[in-house]
Amino acid sequence: MMQTTLLLRVVQADLLAPTLRRLVLEAADGAHLPPAAPGAHITLTLPVAAHGKPIRNSYSLVAATGQHYELIVRRAQRSRGGSHYVHDQLAPGAVIEATVPHNLFPLATQARKHLLIAGGIGITPMLSFLSALRARNARVELHQLAAADEVGVFEGLLGLRAGDGLHVHQGRAALDLADLLARQPLGTHVYTCGPASLMDAVQDQARALGWPATHVHREDFGAAGGEPFTLRLSRSGQEIAVDGEETMLEALERAGVDARSLCRGGACGECMLPVVEGTPDHRDHFLSDAEKASGLLVMPCVSRAQCATLVLDL
Amino acid sequence: MTTAFKTDETFRDEFRYANSDAAILRFPLPFPEDAYMYSVNIEPHFASGATNVFHTAFDVDEHYVSECRERALVLAQDPNRCIVLPHMAQAQWDTLELLMESLARDYPQHFSLDRDGDRWTWQNRPLGIHDTFTFGDTSTLPYAPFEYITRQAQGDFTLQDQRENTLYLDGGIATTQADWSVEFNVGMTFHEWHGPVPLAHEMGIFDRALQYLMRVRYGHPGRRLNWTMTVNPRLDTSPENYPAWGPDRTTLTPENIGDRLHLRVELQSFYRLPRSNALLFGIRAYLASINELARVPKWGRRLHRVLRDLPPELIAYKGMTRFHAMAVEHLAQFDDGASTAPGIGADIDHLPG
Amino acid sequence: MSDQGIKSRPTYAPISRDATGARHLLVLDTTQPPAGAFAEGTALEDFPERWSVEAHSKAIPSPHADDLLHGFRSTSHLLIALRHRLAQEHMGFRLYAIGTESFLWDVARAAAEAGMGRDEYRLLAAGSAARRVYCVHCRTMNEQVTTNLVTCSACGANLFVRDHFSRFHNAYMGVQIDAEVPGETLPIEELYP
Repeated sequence: MMQTTLLLRVVQADLLAPTLRRLVLEAADGAHLPPAAPGAHITLTLPVAAHGKPIRNSYSLVAATGQHYELIVRRAQRSRGGSHYVHDQLAPGAVIEATVPHNLFPLATQARKHLLIAGGIGITPMLSFLSALRARNARVELHQLAAADEVGVFEGLLGLRAGDGLHVHQGRAALDLADLLARQPLGTHVYTCGPASLMDAVQDQARALGWPATHVHREDFGAAGGEPFTLRLSRSGQEIAVDGEETMLEALERAGVDARSLCRGGACGECMLPVVEGTPDHRDHFLSDAEKASGLLVMPCVSRAQCATLVLDL
Repeated sequence: MTTAFKTDETFRDEFRYANSDAAILRFPLPFPEDAYMYSVNIEPHFASGATNVFHTAFDVDEHYVSECRERALVLAQDPNRCIVLPHMAQAQWDTLELLMESLARDYPQHFSLDRDGDRWTWQNRPLGIHDTFTFGDTSTLPYAPFEYITRQAQGDFTLQDQRENTLYLDGGIATTQADWSVEFNVGMTFHEWHGPVPLAHEMGIFDRALQYLMRVRYGHPGRRLNWTMTVNPRLDTSPENYPAWGPDRTTLTPENIGDRLHLRVELQSFYRLPRSNALLFGIRAYLASINELARVPKWGRRLHRVLRDLPPELIAYKGMTRFHAMAVEHLAQFDDGASTAPGIGADIDHLPG
Repeated sequence: MSDQGIKSRPTYAPISRDATGARHLLVLDTTQPPAGAFAEGTALEDFPERWSVEAHSKAIPSPHADDLLHGFRSTSHLLIALRHRLAQEHMGFRLYAIGTESFLWDVARAAAEAGMGRDEYRLLAAGSAARRVYCVHCRTMNEQVTTNLVTCSACGANLFVRDHFSRFHNAYMGVQIDAEVPGETLPIEELYP
């Protein structure tokens, strides 16, 4: 009934800096694009064969109108090939598959002020925040950390004007995080995106200064999937490979096993299966702490394995 | 699906309401087996399942026109039955867009939506509405967007803001509710507004349901069924108007209970809204008398068994204390003890007799 | 009709100082906290900054910023100062309140309006358990209700005082007890003295 996958055509692609490429995308069939809240991302399926399967990378939407989505992609030094493909091969006219927008990094509705702290490519969700917050006349302050050769690029993207609360700093040491966080008025929410070390530092410093966790937000793009593992069904002897991007339940269904399910979100208990051997990686909300610790049950719709082979009593 | 709308029904005063055979056969019975207890019975909401009630985003049935008129009456008498807190303004437009797109897609014979940039033209032919407005500009609509579009939909709706690891009920319209007040509950968290429900908290139902709901993604709605019983086909069983409908519970007799006592089923649906990141809950009420439902042999047996064995806490919470025994007695005639197939479907194509 | 034991009723615990906070303010609707107000490991001295209500017209809070103890004439008087204080405070602040339930949720409302989350304030009910009751039928607040039943001051409904509480409205729901059969009611009991 509702669309969940999009086919997007690249309308425009240009380099903002040697490793930063901006893409503008439209719907391949010219239809309206689904709207998105500030902080949302889409996941592109890039036709780069890694272990025989295409690569799926998530990118924050810098802007989302009814006609266009705008992304900025960093060419990663170490990469499975996704960002290299975007930089080197994805040209105007190309059509790629994408998910509809998903948002794990929304703005807080009750914030009296929004403090944005980003490093490098972490600027992308902040750009979408800025447009929305300015339109609402909300209090906002932004600090962007940049390498020396990118300071100008980010200043350009932000369109800095004196007194507008937006600052670009060259290098981490140029920003006194403790001082910045300590002087924020009550009711401020802080949002951070960038290298894990930056986000960790913001979280740790905020906690040390007495910020409640509910007022500190980081963009993780969600940690779905995980390491591949093998399922063995002890009664039938069947062995099923579960790859990094599918759930245990999806693997069972793919193998033709008659697996019960209902909510497919780890909450209802319908899909519960007994474990004979191996250690589950529990990600559900149904089992009690004791049940999880016993390792005798698992919810295949969301949980995975901590070991190479998980044996189920099926 | 071509729908012949029953335009002359009333859900108050003299009550004029009945379900066609087709409506009975598609009724979303909330009992997949012969006993009932609370569970996290949420499933993905897509065009699937035992009844075509589930096959559209927001079901429009033969009672559509009459239910919209009833809603307008309730709001005329009590405008505070629709409340949206100021910070949910974006969620109002999200709701309007979702409902308009869904209705126009699923029922093109009844609804049309034309979008020219942010100039939108909406046609609702059953209600005779044809409006052009600017998306995002409340002054171009006769009502605020949430009220505007929910006046054209069956069932109640609530808007949830997701923050502090829970959901806050920060808006809603409740004119067909089973005894809860949106005006009183506005601002409550998920656990708080479910406070009055017995047993379910201890079972961990709400903890798990909340975890699921907070992870609902745009494009991946969920649904579940809930139920209670209502005397007469009355939609407005609000706490506000309890002095008006409360006495109905004392008017049942063994002779009239089959036609007057209605099973009231809520089809709840859960949508993530794209611009606000809020959650929209749809709470769609279906009413059928126990005699209507008993025309389906499987359901006659099942209803008897479910009610007969219902835990006392649920009998009390669902307001059935006065008539529970009388209802079980009446339903016994439809239960020959034969086994019933699992699942909620009627399992027949036409009603016998 | 009974929902005693309802899960939405706020529960309170003796106050313990939140060690993760940077600054702490304790507000009371009396002059002294009651016995048992503090959890083990916490004492009055852990809250050097305290505001209290002296309940007489001669009370005047100190004008000096470094005075940590202030006395107010009433809870209304205290709440005005609290809103101003919260508007000037910074992240890391923690607020604690001890008093009647109505006072607590007025404090919570001021905190929420200042953008504070529920993790940033702690509440303990003390003193009278009298309830503010919202008549769901006519939307009138009935104050200082100590009994299980109250006649609505505006529409005359005989209301059962439920445990269903709204933090937003700072009131308990009252629903007509004899809506189904007029006169079918319960004996009056003083449950919230």
